[in-house]
Amino acid sequence: MDLNSLQTQIDTDLAKITSAQTLEEVRLKYLGRKGLIAELTGSIPGLPPEERGTFGKEVNALKNKLLGLFEEKEKALNAQAKVLTKDKLDIGMPGIAQELGHIHPISRIVDEICTIFNRMGFSVVQGPEVETEYNNFTGLNIPLEHPSRDAFDTFYLKNYSKLLLRSHTSPVQVRAMKTQKPPLAIVVPGRVYRPDAVDASHLFMFHQIEGFLVDENIRFSDLKGILELFARSVFGEDIKMRFRPHFFPFTEPSVEVDISCIICKGQGCSVCGRKGWLEILGAGMIHPNVFKHVGYDPAIYTGFAFGMGVERIAMLKYGINDIRLFFENDLRFLKQF
Amino acid sequence: MKVTYNWLKNFVDLKISPKELAEKLTMAGLEVVGLEKAGDDFVLEVEITSNRPDWLSVLGIAREVSALTGLKLKTTGFKEPKIKPKDFSPIKISVASKQDCPFYSARIMSGLAVGPSPEWLKNRLEALGCRTVNNIVDITNYCLFELGQPLHAFDLDKLPQKEIRVRRAKPEEKIITIDGQTRLLNPEILVIADTHHPIAIAGIMGGRETEVTFKTRNILLESAVFNPVLVRRAKQKLGLQSESAYRFERGVDLEGARQASRAAQELILKLASGKACGSKSLGATKAITPAINLEIAYLNKLLGTAISGPKAKQILSRLGLAVKTKSRNILTVKVPSFRQDLRLPVDLVEEVARIYGYEQIPQTLPAVKPGRKAPDDRDLIAVMKNILCGLGLSEAITYSLIDRHLLKQSGINIDTGLVEIANPLSREQEILRPGLLPSLTRALAYNLDQQQEKVCIFEIACAFSGQPAAVAEKPLLGIALCGVNTFFTKHGLAKDEITLLHLKGILETLFVRLGIKDFDFAGQPDNKINIMINQKPAGFLLKLAPQILGAFDIKNRQVVLAQVNLERLLKEVNLARKFLDIPKYPAITRDISFLINEDVSVKELLGAIQAKGAPLLNQAKIVDYYRGKQIPLGFRGLTVSCLYRQDNRTLTEDEVSPVHNSICSLLTERFGIKLR
Repeated sequence: MDLNSLQTQIDTDLAKITSAQTLEEVRLKYLGRKGLIAELTGSIPGLPPEERGTFGKEVNALKNKLLGLFEEKEKALNAQAKVLTKDKLDIGMPGIAQELGHIHPISRIVDEICTIFNRMGFSVVQGPEVETEYNNFTGLNIPLEHPSRDAFDTFYLKNYSKLLLRSHTSPVQVRAMKTQKPPLAIVVPGRVYRPDAVDASHLFMFHQIEGFLVDENIRFSDLKGILELFARSVFGEDIKMRFRPHFFPFTEPSVEVDISCIICKGQGCSVCGRKGWLEILGAGMIHPNVFKHVGYDPAIYTGFAFGMGVERIAMLKYGINDIRLFFENDLRFLKQF
Repeated sequence: MKVTYNWLKNFVDLKISPKELAEKLTMAGLEVVGLEKAGDDFVLEVEITSNRPDWLSVLGIAREVSALTGLKLKTTGFKEPKIKPKDFSPIKISVASKQDCPFYSARIMSGLAVGPSPEWLKNRLEALGCRTVNNIVDITNYCLFELGQPLHAFDLDKLPQKEIRVRRAKPEEKIITIDGQTRLLNPEILVIADTHHPIAIAGIMGGRETEVTFKTRNILLESAVFNPVLVRRAKQKLGLQSESAYRFERGVDLEGARQASRAAQELILKLASGKACGSKSLGATKAITPAINLEIAYLNKLLGTAISGPKAKQILSRLGLAVKTKSRNILTVKVPSFRQDLRLPVDLVEEVARIYGYEQIPQTLPAVKPGRKAPDDRDLIAVMKNILCGLGLSEAITYSLIDRHLLKQSGINIDTGLVEIANPLSREQEILRPGLLPSLTRALAYNLDQQQEKVCIFEIACAFSGQPAAVAEKPLLGIALCGVNTFFTKHGLAKDEITLLHLKGILETLFVRLGIKDFDFAGQPDNKINIMINQKPAGFLLKLAPQILGAFDIKNRQVVLAQVNLERLLKEVNLARKFLDIPKYPAITRDISFLINEDVSVKELLGAIQAKGAPLLNQAKIVDYYRGKQIPLGFRGLTVSCLYRQDNRTLTEDEVSPVHNSICSLLTERFGIKLR
């Protein structure tokens, strides 16, 4: 056999090696017990004696060379394998991402409610937190001697005799109606203030959402329709609702709206005070005296107004049992929303 | 207000169960918040709205039950006992102000046997949680609960002058009330006095001196009407609540006062024998009540119903109103004295709706006429909040009212323009805050105290400042950051302490996303750094000084804060976008790495490069910086990447090289850089 032609064949075979398995196959082909080298060694005795020495040396050299080549190849393969291991990805490792912040639960509820009314055609309006006595009380048909005007129920400002911190969002009704003509469809979210001692269900600052719709021919039945649509949007289709007569100076007839307790489904639990019902908002047909104060003719225009406490709705929806959590701003609280 | 089922049965032949009754009352506006069995009776606890003092009696609620059930209301007439003139023992009554006391009456009864009440009477009172005393006092309480008119009995023999004066208390005057407390009075408080001193606080509580006891034989029974506001104020001033005050402050029925007095007398003579010796009264006996015309068309238009005239008439009549049919469409309603809340036709609409049942009124959807709606501030604020959340900040909401101490703690000294609360309940409600940062710092410190490694919060709310005649409300964005950003990279966890540059980066990203092009940050890191938008101040950022960190008990941390004037920011927001062609021709980028003295302002440096490279230089920006080993003290390593591009052709190396070289020389000559 021509050892030189064998050399080219070896080169071709070596180039084909890509894995430990092909390496072993090629190794066996040359160095195995029945491999080419064994075959060549076995052919030596059949050679003329003077050629045996030279041929034997050449075969031996070839064998050593092959051993070296295979070793080299094996090293290369191992190195390649190591690179692959380094790139190996475990999808169980933590994902890599920028951490997002959180919107406050009060803002979430305000946005949710405003969006519902937005879709119904209401626009969102805001008003100042420091208000006049007129807008907060007089314009809303709250008589001068009404207890809500007491220093027990309203924060007044030092050095500004006619100013106070609004105790509800209703003064925005007066503001909006004084500056715009009907039809009006408005919701007003915002902070309100009352001098309450702080406990798990009372704070001196909280949020309300006020809404009102004024036009010709707005009826009590419309109030029921809109508020039912609203409550089902917020609390789900399967709630029951009831409209109870109530009293507010700025609406007549007035109503309080209850939904079946979302915790116990109306069976009675600690959240609903065993009543099976949760009061969620107050509402009514805007009082003719309010219209007179803003210069609307109550013979032409009618309308309804409603108001609700945002914290209460957030507490019900999220199952929060202490109102103080909203303003402590503990990240362990905020990050849950 | 409590009422019992059996007591109501005295007035209405109830056939429904207490539970059904509670349900009916609730749905008519008398919310029943408690229903409990008491012996063979049931006690209903009813929440009464402030407009309905007439409901503060069994009779008032019975009237409602009658209207709701259609059952007849049984009222017993009280007959005036015949008095022989010689029996009358004269008594003198004077009322200082008709405004304070529109009506006052006194009945004299003598020869009474004062003793314990019979069981039925005790049971009734005790079911309502009222303490029983003796038959006379118990009867006055019984009439209070049944008819809603508070009465008071004086021991006549303790009034030697036989004179009653209804007047304001004199300064420093005192009285010992029947609860044994000495009460200091003042001229804002109305009292019942004899010729010398007060014997009762009008409408609130009697005096101990003239109290009816088992020894009493002769009494003066008072039935009066007092000014509701006076009673409420006095009650608050004295911190004294009573069943009597509860009714007077809401307003009692002027015409009912007489009736109650007669009823009480009848019961006293029956249970304590004795005899009536006549009565005397001062003031109005008839209440002024309006006649209201109710149009049936108006009623149905307002409610969205189709209630007939006769149906409306039936409902109103059952409520005890005198209704006449004026025409097919109009009812004329004469309001009785016990319904002072009814003034306008709309009040009658509510009465009809209540009894008809709110549940019976259909549900309709109005045609809302939507107005023109451009995105308003609230929409923009929602966008801002989302950007900030995307940058890892969480929204906080803190109180607008704060204590003065918090300002001091934050190193803020404001003497003028602080808006103070006149009637705070506690120190935490002293002032309306002039800015957001003290509250945010406190929230941040609280979270650090709760072992948070990183606190990144913002708030959007108003700050307040006092002007000569008004209070200015300014919406602000406040940001507070502290801690270490930790994030995974391919190579493991990386940590990065939050600094002013992080805060700057957040604001830059916010501004850019809001379409604000011209903004700048000017100032030294040791002081306030001003935020300029379109060359006008729009807020500031700062790093909290060590002494303030100390005041908040924050250790080994840096806290950075920003406050942005939201009005200014919102004014500059531009969410409109204009498409610019994507560059058609390739750019050539050349980086320059160099060492530069730390005192050189990077802003100035980049400005100089821009100026020098124009017009071929499209952009120059910092792509790397380094400080540490290999860099001599007082220097920093910077790499500036220069991007050369023209919109109308491909630039060649030959064009760019001279410009780039001139930039390098400029940097060397003017800024003393050392190329690396």
